[in-house]
Amino acid sequence: MNSDYVISLRNVAKHYPIGDGRFTALQDINLDFSQGEFSGLVGPSGSGKTTLLNIIGSLDSPSEGTASVLGKNIATLSHKESAQLRNREIGFIFQVYNLLPVYTVFENVEFALLLQNRSEAERKKAVMDALEWVGLTHLADKKPSKLSGGEGQRVAIARAMVKRPSIVLADEPSANLDARNTHGILQTMKDLNRELKTTFLFSTHDEKVMQYLERIIHLDDGRIAQDEIVHAQSTPT
Amino acid sequence: MKLAFQLAYRNLLGAGLRTWLNVGVLSFAFVIIIFYNGWIDGWNQQARRDSIAWQYGFGQLQVATFDPFDPFSITDAHAALPAEDDHLTPVLLRLGTLYPQGRTMSIVVKGIDVNQTVVDLPTSALTASKSDLPAIIGEQMALASHLKTGDEVLLRWRDIHGTFDAATVTIAGVFPNQVPGIDKGQIWVPLKKLQDMTLMPDEATYFIADANFQHTEIAGWKYRSQEDLLYEINNIIKMKKMGGSVMYLLLLAIALLAIFDTQVLSVFRRQKEIGTYISLGMTRQQVVGLFTVEGAMTSIFAAVLGALYGTPLLGWIAHTGIAVPMNSQDLGIPIADRMYPVFGLGLILATLMLVVISATIVSFLPSRKIAKMDPVQALKGKIQ
Ligand SMILES: Nc1ncnc2c1ncn2[C@@H]1O[C@H](COP(=O)(O)OP(=O)(O)OP(=O)(O)O)[C@@H](O)[C@H]1O
Ligand SMILES: [Mg+2]
Repeated sequence: MNSDYVISLRNVAKHYPIGDGRFTALQDINLDFSQGEFSGLVGPSGSGKTTLLNIIGSLDSPSEGTASVLGKNIATLSHKESAQLRNREIGFIFQVYNLLPVYTVFENVEFALLLQNRSEAERKKAVMDALEWVGLTHLADKKPSKLSGGEGQRVAIARAMVKRPSIVLADEPSANLDARNTHGILQTMKDLNRELKTTFLFSTHDEKVMQYLERIIHLDDGRIAQDEIVHAQSTPT
Repeated sequence: MKLAFQLAYRNLLGAGLRTWLNVGVLSFAFVIIIFYNGWIDGWNQQARRDSIAWQYGFGQLQVATFDPFDPFSITDAHAALPAEDDHLTPVLLRLGTLYPQGRTMSIVVKGIDVNQTVVDLPTSALTASKSDLPAIIGEQMALASHLKTGDEVLLRWRDIHGTFDAATVTIAGVFPNQVPGIDKGQIWVPLKKLQDMTLMPDEATYFIADANFQHTEIAGWKYRSQEDLLYEINNIIKMKKMGGSVMYLLLLAIALLAIFDTQVLSVFRRQKEIGTYISLGMTRQQVVGLFTVEGAMTSIFAAVLGALYGTPLLGWIAHTGIAVPMNSQDLGIPIADRMYPVFGLGLILATLMLVVISATIVSFLPSRKIAKMDPVQALKGKIQ
């Protein structure tokens, strides 16, 4: 295990018990990600993309092998330690945004900081900075139900970024967005990746997203089919 | 913990109607519990006050064989004290028969010192009367015997040797009161008179003590303190309290069921939210805590809402009182025509504790399920 890597996966497998036997969702996964990488898991539905992201995000644990995130073995963390890791170091972005419906945009973004017991002034500054990155300061007091899809996903990005995490895991972030919004949020994330050196890992089967990726890992039936470094367009058309 | 309260507050306000329904029902339970207990407490205080003022004084020194609940014990319950005591007012009890309008009524004749001031009995009416054998009776007795002030009625009794004698009694006054123990089935006559009639000079069945009485053991006599004497009232009130609690505990149960139901539903319906909390860095225990606090806070909102409409409402009731329709002396303890509930701080705090603690428990029980949730399944909304 090389501790220079932000994420290190060794022989990771995930099995689910099904009836008498088991279903293998992931197998022989060996991957390393360095800080600042902008990469994506690509593959057909059911190929194991979400499962792998969840293991890296310590929401799930591997059935075999070891997954290390920031030098910590996911499988051996206590509930509290893994919660802490998610709270400080990992930002999640989901396909359906998963914004908390009763909270305002500001409160949604603020949430992770509340858990960190940061002072109100500190929180306010960090939240407004994050909203500025995604260009939504004017919607701070709105409820998620009043937002468009693109705006909702931008809030989710702000929420993931507000704590300046080491890693952002984005599971099909563009699935519910049109082309214009997809390019918009990808450009925003790319900028943040450059500026803050945050490591981004996507899962996608969206060509528009792939244009931005610097590294594409093809998953097929839970195995790595191909791991390629690509020349990303910085300003795709 | 502070965070849980902060978040629970946001969540409850955000949940809107459902929250307010629960809060409304629970606040109603809250007010009813306080109202009912305040009513009983008010009754209790009034009953104690009246019993002390009209019947018990500051305690009673009784002939040892006298049992207030056994009329037959009266026959032999008469004796003289070895020494007089200024702080004791003598009362002699004798069994007798009254013949109002040809009917027969078994009664207790009570002789009391006409100059006494220890109880509120209007014994001055006995001194004021010119009649040979004046008597005062309570309202209920007047009702039962159809006697009124100025009426004459034949009384028969036995003297110390068991010999029957009879005389005409003149009703010198009918006194309003709320204490059955000095009213039903009894007439009050001057003590001296009764002692003469029964050939029991200087004897009494019991003495009513005043505030300054100091008790020392006297053979053949037993002293019953004020609290002792109030024991029966306390018991009856306690029974009433328990009987009524069935009603309001049912109401509370309904309110708690609504909270429980909300929680069960929430744990199921809010799984994506639960998964999101966990992805943002809450532990599952923290989420359990948050959901529990939401339920507990529902009860606090209910207390606030209950206070908003309950304070003026109960305050008004405490001020104007409640008319008691029944002729309630049948209960055997004092009850006023108009009762004034008493809402003490202790009652309010105890109710608050009861409601908050029970709401917290019913919120916690369904929320425990969260601790076993797989966050991945929760995020997918796939937990059954
Ligand atoms: N709890 C589970 N029990 C059984 N099988 C599961 C479970 N969770 C996931 N799977 C299976 O594992 C496989 C991988 O699922 P995963 O969600 O990772 O796929 P994916 O690549 O993200 O697909 P999609 O593009 O549709 O999101 C799927 O076949 C899925 O049915
Ligand atoms: Mg998926």
